[in-house]
Amino acid sequence: MTAQTAENISEFSFKTKYQTNRKSAGLWILSHAIHQWPWIIMALIGAISNAALASIVPIYIGKAFNEVIKNSPSLAVIGRYALIIGLSQVLRGFLQFVRNFGFEIIAQKIERVVRQELYVNLLGKSMTFHNLQSVGDLMARATNDVRELNYMFSPGFNLVIGSLNFLFIPLFVGPTYNSALILAPALFIVLYTLALWHYLRILNPVTSNVRRNFGQLNSRLAEAIDGVEIVKGSAQEDAEINRFSQNAIAYRDASIRQGDIESRFLPMLLLGITMAVGLGHSLFLLQQGVLNIGDVISYFGTLSFLGFPTFISLFAYSQISLGFAGARRILQLMNTENKLDQNVQGFDEFIRGEITFEDVSFGYNDEETSLENINIKISPGQTVAIVGQTGSGKTTLVKLINRTFDVRIGAVKVDGVDVRDWYLEALRNQISIIEQDIFLFSRSIADNITFGKPEATREEIIQAATEAQAHDFIMSFENGYDTIIGERGATLSGGQRQRLALARAFLTSPRILVLDDSTSAIDSETEDKIQQAIFRAAEGRTTLIITHRLSQIRWANQIVVMRKGKIAAIGTHEELMRTSPSYQKIFSE
Amino acid sequence: MGFFSGLSAEQYDRQYSDKKLFTRIVDYFKTQTQRLVVISITIIVRAVIVAATPVIVAKGLDRVTGQSISTQFIVTLSGIVLALGIISWVSNLLLRRSSARTIAELIRQLSTDAFTASVRQDLSFHDNFSSGKIVSRITSDTREFGQLVTLSTDVLMQLITSIILAVVLLQAEWRLALAIFILIPLLFLLVLQYRHAARKVTRDGMRAMANVNSTIKETVSGIAIAKNFRQEESIYQEFDAANQTSYKVNIRRGFILSIVFPILRTVGGIATALLVYYGAMSVLQGVVTAGAWYLFLSTLDKFLSPVMSISSFWTQVQTGLSAAERIFALIDAQHSIQQIEDIKPDRLLGRIDMNYVNFSYTPDEPVLQDFSLHLKSGETLALVGHTGAGKTSIGRLITRFYEFQQGEILIDGVDIRRFNLIALRLQMGIVSQVPFLFSGTVEDNIKYGCPGCANADIMRIARQIGDGEWLETLPNGLDTEVGERGSQLSMGQRQLVALMRVLIQKPAIFILDEATASIDPFTEAQIQTALDLILSETTSILIAHRLSTVKSADRILVMRQGEIIEEGNHQDLLTQGQHYAELYNTYFRHQSLAYVEEAKKYVRK
Repeated sequence: MTAQTAENISEFSFKTKYQTNRKSAGLWILSHAIHQWPWIIMALIGAISNAALASIVPIYIGKAFNEVIKNSPSLAVIGRYALIIGLSQVLRGFLQFVRNFGFEIIAQKIERVVRQELYVNLLGKSMTFHNLQSVGDLMARATNDVRELNYMFSPGFNLVIGSLNFLFIPLFVGPTYNSALILAPALFIVLYTLALWHYLRILNPVTSNVRRNFGQLNSRLAEAIDGVEIVKGSAQEDAEINRFSQNAIAYRDASIRQGDIESRFLPMLLLGITMAVGLGHSLFLLQQGVLNIGDVISYFGTLSFLGFPTFISLFAYSQISLGFAGARRILQLMNTENKLDQNVQGFDEFIRGEITFEDVSFGYNDEETSLENINIKISPGQTVAIVGQTGSGKTTLVKLINRTFDVRIGAVKVDGVDVRDWYLEALRNQISIIEQDIFLFSRSIADNITFGKPEATREEIIQAATEAQAHDFIMSFENGYDTIIGERGATLSGGQRQRLALARAFLTSPRILVLDDSTSAIDSETEDKIQQAIFRAAEGRTTLIITHRLSQIRWANQIVVMRKGKIAAIGTHEELMRTSPSYQKIFSE
Repeated sequence: MGFFSGLSAEQYDRQYSDKKLFTRIVDYFKTQTQRLVVISITIIVRAVIVAATPVIVAKGLDRVTGQSISTQFIVTLSGIVLALGIISWVSNLLLRRSSARTIAELIRQLSTDAFTASVRQDLSFHDNFSSGKIVSRITSDTREFGQLVTLSTDVLMQLITSIILAVVLLQAEWRLALAIFILIPLLFLLVLQYRHAARKVTRDGMRAMANVNSTIKETVSGIAIAKNFRQEESIYQEFDAANQTSYKVNIRRGFILSIVFPILRTVGGIATALLVYYGAMSVLQGVVTAGAWYLFLSTLDKFLSPVMSISSFWTQVQTGLSAAERIFALIDAQHSIQQIEDIKPDRLLGRIDMNYVNFSYTPDEPVLQDFSLHLKSGETLALVGHTGAGKTSIGRLITRFYEFQQGEILIDGVDIRRFNLIALRLQMGIVSQVPFLFSGTVEDNIKYGCPGCANADIMRIARQIGDGEWLETLPNGLDTEVGERGSQLSMGQRQLVALMRVLIQKPAIFILDEATASIDPFTEAQIQTALDLILSETTSILIAHRLSTVKSADRILVMRQGEIIEEGNHQDLLTQGQHYAELYNTYFRHQSLAYVEEAKKYVRK
């Protein structure tokens, strides 16, 4: 990995087809759209010619009308007009398809490339980022928000651009009969724009209020049904029903407010007025002898095209604004900074396994402090048990070692060298962290074990699994090591997942092992296996175990008791039994 | 998603006869007759206006063809068109207002009734049917049914317009009119064909998308672990394959969906062309007036437009009605627990007697048979045994969550069926294996069963547990938000909150299904303190999973297949060396301090 370009500062980089502008949502979408220019041209040609060809119908109907009321009308001429109308509409059908499908292609291509851009960006983010970011959030960005961008182009832009063309037909066609006929369509466009703007402005807060009310109703509802045992057990049925009724009433009232605003859709009234004014105006010109009857008919016919943008715009505009909101959320995620850098020139040695915390303080943000004044010294090969209540800072503490987070004050040193001075990859390659929630891919068990060492042989895999006490349960599946996780009953318990993760660690043989252990064994036999696997894993390497297990605590070389971000007690079992009353309490029956 | 999950049938689903379904639906509209009248009137007004405008313009054209026109005529004609436009807008306004109110109120009533019914349902009902599906009936199905109302008004309006136009056109020139009518079945066929194709690609697309989505979700959740092992490249390949598949599926779907309107448009265009020619011919032959010809041309689109909506209307009606059926089935589902009297007891002593009770979840698998059990007031009883021994069932019968089939259960000597259920349960404290918390603060949750309890009481009791240290470790003490289902708290903290709930409620009877989750030893010690506080004041039945709990019981009941096979205290039973000793070796041995010492054998450094 070379360290020249800006992208390479991140932990992983991958070539995307082109660079995008991430300054604002609009620019970003534009910088994606620009690369679709051949399709955009195609779609625009489709959109514009579709509208132009649509106007053929009223124009030629008008001409035919003029022909019919002539003194000596010719059926042949009318036949020609009819033919023009027929052919133009066949062609229009085709071009409308070009428009629809063109926008569809743009939308799909943009969805694909945006999702790829986002994913590559996520892969490049630091472990800190991924530790702090909820996975649910990332998934929502990568699926829903990316899809919103798709919908923004099709149907969103497709309908807006498609229908806006129709808005201009009477504006262009009218003056060909008489320049004064520009009046009604021009007025309509101005007033329509104002009315629509006003409408959307007052509608937006109301619809989000409806959504909020529904969200409230739905989440309490789901909780009440899920927790129905406690509802009944506490005799709170009536209180819950009452609460639901209140929420349902609020939701109803919000929906009604939205309905009321939607019912006063002014552009529709404007359309009616424009039609009447246009009709009167053209009849007036007819009276003066400036227009023919056929011209009046054409003009009136083109005015009715205004109906299309009037009604379609509502749906299309909201689709576009949803797309923008999605784009903003994606950008926000992509623009989050990477605080850690690779430090390629840094210290790169085999780790012996000595770890020291020197006056370490840390906080996830400036307001709160999660760790304060931590001093620990761990010799190579030692096993350290970290105990304490949830939220006491146990997990945060161990994540400072592989630089998932960086300290605020003080230093964490591995083999006497500040972890910030290590080459990040060298450091992380030799430290293995087994998290509380163990993530397994829906691949085979063997693939999951070899995840960190893809070249491992089957013998190595089996040996690792055996050492992790996982071999027996793996063989209990019909397909053994080739069982796909998550398929047909191959769901694993927390303890089994943990042992697969341990097998991974046996295979990669890290110098420092960090184990966040919160599994519980239902029976003593399973407990035996877990004990064996963990003690075996701790051999020959420095091991930090966050644990609830008394036997792990009892036999650790050193025990760190955490309380509210500080070390409440530290020492060997014998020392703590002498000095700490709360420690004594957990070892009393 | 709601769409699919809502569709599958449940055991309590039933088929309502059309007549019964209809009366049920009508009942819900009864309170809204006024609005329905407004809706009907405005629908008709709007339909008439849509049909009338071209008719009036056509008549006007006939007046001006070949003769001079007066200013008064111009003003009148455009005045009429203007008036129609305004009336149309106003009637639309009234229609939308009324239907928005009708639908919103309908949804409120339906969902409230459905929710009330499901909360009142027995626990057995909730154990059998997934909560997700119940929720989807209460929200998605009610909305789906509401949409049927909007849809019906729209289709009805278009239909009335079409019928009026059909009559007008027939009167104007019946041959031309019939020629146009022929188009209807043709278009219908086209639309049905299209809908068939669209349904297929949409279904295929949905399936493929579900796969792609799950792969994308997995690759996103796998990022952190991939980074841990520097496997970004391999996970990227997996993601990329899914992303490309998604693209291909969507392009195919987009193609089919892009094609329908252009085809309809083309057919309409060709029809217009033919109408121009043959219409003009009729005018020249003197069969129709020029105005009538115009009428045909200008109403063609409006006349044909309902074809599209009506062809899909029937399926949507069916969807809407089956949504209604599902909601009613939920509302009407039978309860199995029936109380025979309404006794509201004063403070109970907590004496429990089960006499020859028979109980089964399904008729052919008895769980308890001729089961008898007697608890003195204030006694603490621990139930132990393998899974399926019937321990949980005993708790469920005493809390009256499930109905037993034979025998009797007495509390303080009174048949449990004679109590008022609410009053009875107010004197019972129940803590389930996975304590459930509602989103809100810790305080809200502690007060859940006793909304009127004072904060001072809570604080006093909280301090009795490990000097209130557990409250200090919560970021905002009692005001800490617990998150959805309590997700912001650890399992141990959730249990403490659940126990606090019971402590504040001061029940006479306490039933605990002990958690098996792993809890840090410090919190565990506090839980034990809280438990001891409760046990000292109540008659308790503990379904025990922890060694310390078993030891603290006055009496241990060893159960197997619904029967009591051993009884006594921990020490005696262990010395007997039979069933209890076996259970101890299977489930409890590793919790003892002796085991902890013994673990040294694994330490090989």
